[in-house]
Amino acid sequence: MGILRKLLLDPLDRCVDNLLLFLPNVLTAIAVLLVGAVLALLIKALGARFFRAVGVDRLARRAGLDLLLDRSGIRDAASVVAAKFIGGLTLAVFAVFAVQTINVPAVERLLERFFLYLPDVFAALVILLVGYLMSNFLSRAALIGAVNAGMGVSRLIGRSVKYLVIVLSVTMALEQLGIGSGTVVIAFSIVFSGIVLAFAIAFGLGGRDAARCFLEKKLKGSERDDNMNHL
Amino acid sequence: MAVHGFSMTDRARCGGGGCGVSGMNRVILRSEVREWLDRVGSADLLVGIPSYNNAGTIGHVVRAVQAGLAKYFPRYRAVLVNSDGGSEDGTRQVAEQAAVDDFSQLLVRQRVPALLKTATLYRGAPGKGSAFRTVFEIADALRVKACAVVDSDLRSITPEWVELLLKPVLDEGFDYVAPLYLRHKYDGTITNSIIYPLTRALYGRRVRQPIGGDFGFSGRLSRHFLKQDVWETDVARYGVDIWMTTTAIAGSFDVCQSFLGAKIHDAKDPAADLSAMLSQVVSAAFDLMEAYQEVWTSVSGSMQVPTFGFRYAVGLEPVEVNVERMLERYVLGARDLADIWRRFLPGRIMEWLADSCRVPCREFRLPDELWVEIIYRLAVARRNRILPSEHLLKSLTPLYLGKIASFVLETRDSSAPEVEERIERLCCQFETMKPLLVSLWEQREEVWDGNTQETVA
Repeated sequence: MGILRKLLLDPLDRCVDNLLLFLPNVLTAIAVLLVGAVLALLIKALGARFFRAVGVDRLARRAGLDLLLDRSGIRDAASVVAAKFIGGLTLAVFAVFAVQTINVPAVERLLERFFLYLPDVFAALVILLVGYLMSNFLSRAALIGAVNAGMGVSRLIGRSVKYLVIVLSVTMALEQLGIGSGTVVIAFSIVFSGIVLAFAIAFGLGGRDAARCFLEKKLKGSERDDNMNHL
Repeated sequence: MAVHGFSMTDRARCGGGGCGVSGMNRVILRSEVREWLDRVGSADLLVGIPSYNNAGTIGHVVRAVQAGLAKYFPRYRAVLVNSDGGSEDGTRQVAEQAAVDDFSQLLVRQRVPALLKTATLYRGAPGKGSAFRTVFEIADALRVKACAVVDSDLRSITPEWVELLLKPVLDEGFDYVAPLYLRHKYDGTITNSIIYPLTRALYGRRVRQPIGGDFGFSGRLSRHFLKQDVWETDVARYGVDIWMTTTAIAGSFDVCQSFLGAKIHDAKDPAADLSAMLSQVVSAAFDLMEAYQEVWTSVSGSMQVPTFGFRYAVGLEPVEVNVERMLERYVLGARDLADIWRRFLPGRIMEWLADSCRVPCREFRLPDELWVEIIYRLAVARRNRILPSEHLLKSLTPLYLGKIASFVLETRDSSAPEVEERIERLCCQFETMKPLLVSLWEQREEVWDGNTQETVA
């Protein structure tokens, strides 16, 4: 009987005691999670209206973000996406609080590491977003400028500017995340130098005449074949 | 127009030296000008000459103005103000020293009082608008009755210009005198294809050269200009001409125009960027559309404004036009800028533009109704900020070149009156289609939803 109690009933008692100690934490965690979910839903609903009212959709359209969303298969308007993002973030924060209330050391350590990494993730996301917006703006400006200058390769110029800015921003984002930092920068430098060298060779050897013509125009001034005064 | 000759740098801004305080505005006059104003006290007439590196031509302009004042306004106390943007070629010195040597050659027999003259650096953002602001400040300080401003790069100015710009104000009671020039049929194409028809359709007054550059105005209107809160905006840099004309019309001031003959001025910088020029002028006109939407949305049709001066014909310098090159740019734009144009033009126009690229050069025509719709939709798209303004406006360049190529092909064998008639038809189209503009303007943003909808014209 004594053996039975030692082997079976005592551990069971301890387990029940632990469970009784742990259960309130679990219930608290569930409550926190529920509050978070309700708050997230509220923020999502009200946030979408707020962002629409302050003209986020118009700004996104102007910046070309609507196209980015469209290409990513997201059919929602930018205001809805922003509201969903903030709602999701709220839920995530409450989920973290919920996990912390359970009081499991291993999970806490994991969370600590995750939280320390979070600023870098945000910074990388911001870099990517700004990079995307800049790439749109600069590529459009380059395209229009090239068309107005009568360059037949204007589309190529526009695309080159776009991809260059995107590659640059991805490199910076990876650098921020600490993913192969040295390797990424070196790889970028090699690729970029390669492109410049390829252009230099193509322009200097393959397009010697074009280069001469271009430089002559730049140095001597282009010959005007009309003398219209547009104003 | 404000653009020529005015790519001023910060060096053009007022350097050291104290500045005086204007009666109604922030400080913009230099201390030496304030001292000069104290000495002069008051005046009846003022002629302002904005300049920037115009030493080669400003002497002639000053002499023509002096002769005009002596010949036509001998009994008035007149001042001449050269408002300079920091010229490095001695423009101010030339302006100060230039004078008519012998008035008897001009058949001026009466005693001619010495012309009161000052050449000063203006303050503020580099541009013709800031130069004019200084002129308005001085006009206000001297309480003048009538003012005129003339460009400093003019070669064809005569003393009669001074009479024609000032007399309608002094004797006829007008507040604003716009110039009316004799120009080659392919000269002033931005004015002819956009600015004149648009201004006329919007505000209902047929001012033929709204961005002519040489104007007369009353002291009352000068004070009104000065009071406007625009001197830190683009008006100070460029677009002051269209701003003055529009402000005068929209403010219900009495507007007229004077026939000045041919306008010949110094050749422009060959590297001057058409795209930037077009974008600046159109941007200024569109800005004014937003500022005066309460005024223009209720206007329909247009009326003539009184015109002074004796009209005559003169031989004009030939203008060479390369239509093929214009169409090359147009086709390039239609191919590469279609994604941008699609943001503000409906599908049927995009289809037409794509099809037109396959038409043989000589047969290319861009119909007026299409052109008017493009301009109206561009104006609305810019107001709705669907893209950065500079991108939108610069994307207009290939379309503009297409329209001008079409115009040149249409009028190659036309006489000046026939061309004027052609421009009149375009203006009527702008007026006829104005309800489309008003309806698009009032719809605000719902229309511009990526996939541009068709709108009933």
